[in-house]
Amino acid sequence: MLDLLQHLALGFSVALSPMNVLMCLIGAMVGTLIGVLPGVGPLATIAMLLPITFGLPPVGALIMLAGIYYGAQYGGSTTSILINIPGEASSVITTLDGHQMAKQGRAGPALAIAAIGSFFAGCVSTVLVAALGVPLTSVALLFGPAEYFSLMTLGLCFAVVLARGSILKALAMVMLGLMLSMVGSDIETGQSRMAFDIPELSDGIGFVVVAMGVFGFAEIMRNLEQTGTRDVINAKLSGLMPTWPDLKASAGAIGRGTALGAVLGILPGGGAVIAAFAAYTFEKKMSKDPSRFGRGAIEGVAAPESANNAAAQTSFIPLLTLGIPPNAVMALMVGAMTIHGIVPGPQVMSKQPELFWGMVASMWLGNLMLIIINLPMVGMWVKLLQVPYRFLFPAILIFCSIGVYSINNAPFDCVITAVFGLIGYWLVKHDYEPAPMLLGFVLGPLMEENLRRAMLIARGDPTTFVTRPISGALIGLAVVLLVFAALPMIARKREQVFVED
Amino acid sequence: MSDNVGGVPEPRDRGSFVRAPREFYGGLVLVALALFALWASRDLPGMRGFAFGPGTAPRMFAIVLGALGVAVAATGVLTKGPGIDRFYVRGPLFVTLSVVLFAWLVRPLGLAIASFLSILAAAGATPESRPLETIIWAVVLTAFCCFLFPYALNLPMQLWPNNWDLATILKGLSTIR
Repeated sequence: MLDLLQHLALGFSVALSPMNVLMCLIGAMVGTLIGVLPGVGPLATIAMLLPITFGLPPVGALIMLAGIYYGAQYGGSTTSILINIPGEASSVITTLDGHQMAKQGRAGPALAIAAIGSFFAGCVSTVLVAALGVPLTSVALLFGPAEYFSLMTLGLCFAVVLARGSILKALAMVMLGLMLSMVGSDIETGQSRMAFDIPELSDGIGFVVVAMGVFGFAEIMRNLEQTGTRDVINAKLSGLMPTWPDLKASAGAIGRGTALGAVLGILPGGGAVIAAFAAYTFEKKMSKDPSRFGRGAIEGVAAPESANNAAAQTSFIPLLTLGIPPNAVMALMVGAMTIHGIVPGPQVMSKQPELFWGMVASMWLGNLMLIIINLPMVGMWVKLLQVPYRFLFPAILIFCSIGVYSINNAPFDCVITAVFGLIGYWLVKHDYEPAPMLLGFVLGPLMEENLRRAMLIARGDPTTFVTRPISGALIGLAVVLLVFAALPMIARKREQVFVED
Repeated sequence: MSDNVGGVPEPRDRGSFVRAPREFYGGLVLVALALFALWASRDLPGMRGFAFGPGTAPRMFAIVLGALGVAVAATGVLTKGPGIDRFYVRGPLFVTLSVVLFAWLVRPLGLAIASFLSILAAAGATPESRPLETIIWAVVLTAFCCFLFPYALNLPMQLWPNNWDLATILKGLSTIR
């Protein structure tokens, strides 16, 4: 315990010099401003702003990077809530209730709760990272391919269960997402799969392309239908800050989300995404009135935002102990750290303690900066919603187009995004939800890889998924979840059938 | 049952076979997608012994998707549900046009012209836009984007055509890549 306090004290003494605080502030501001642009998610933002940090001394650079990281993540949440465009995979869940809240004039509280929840989760997880780094790694090592596959299956079941509509359709959407993720090159043989010799597809369809199309463009197409009765403008803004009842309702959600995120973030690969989905599902199941979810329940914003921030923090543990970055954003941060002299791995904690603990402290600082900058700015973001839609949507469209183009300088990517926009429009018209599809799409490659490895290790024996204890437990949980979710539906359908006659 | 005073037998509800069109046609499209995926992956090798081949997982997922599509279509036949919501043409058409136009023009004509024309096309998606407003807003937005992306963010994008020669531009327009 004393050790922990000493480490943290060292870290904070490094992080809290006035120059470094200023760096963090600038990083957070710039990160948020760029992250808020609809075409540009956290990954692109960090990639674009990374060069700013090159000229700074290592500690200062890392602190600015931490500020940029949090700013970018928060910018992604902002677009999820305000215009229903998820900046990265773990923001998909935030769009569900966050955007509904925005449509009801409660964008301010939604944004504020996202910031507050994230901050709380960040605080708790930073302490966890500091205290439990090494022991928790051994837990992560218990997870083999079979366990990962089962965990992701569980994650997909969360996505199915949290769907507002029919479970059958959500399952179908998950399958569609899984199938779409197979486009590209096979990971083991390099063979081109379903890419029809189109070079831009040889690496698969990018997440940004699908998310931008299915969420962003489809949403615009849908909003354009209702000339004159647009939800986004008409809702009267009812206050910028969460009310006391809001805070009370979210408190539990934030706590539970933090716990889930902290646990799931330790597992390298997909942790933050699954954590966000799991937290949302958990809140929905635990709530007294589950039908509120998907229609603007504030817990539906608080829980996933806390979960993905907690997971993002605890994902530092496998990063620093095993050297495995859990997702692309973290991989970029690792690259940045390497440039500034930190090579992630077990020795970092012992050989460069001031850098390591300084970094841990700076992540906390970045989180704090976020609250400081963004809570006052909530008003400004919300004002954006009141711009007449005929000016807003061309701006969103062009930012998205340029953003998608800038990923690979490939115009064809924009065409694919437009196709996904039409697909998203069709999905909406037929009452299919895009969120499960996105999760299937994100987890697909990982699931396939782990499935293949697990089968290879088990020599083709599919029972390995249930005979290995952790894996069996996870699959069991998934089945139980599905059954519980399907039961009320079956009961209702039976009634329906009898009423139908 | 509805009140039926005269004792005349009500005609049987000869509603269509499809009682929930939205579900039915939705399910059918999913089945079609699954079949398409099966066709697209037909040349991929499957399982070899107990090792997964490149084609195994896509085919697996496609089959499950097809089965689920059939199930959804079945609910469309067995239960009553809403009809297909009206598909608007103008919005999606102009949005798609705007994006495709941008993709087509950005390489040969540069960011400025492509963005400008793309924004103008997007404005056509709603009857609310007025010509002068639209042009002014397009100029403002284009200027902002042309500052933000190439300069502020240092992204490698060309603002103007490399070569103002008409023949080169036309050649560049003839391919989307």
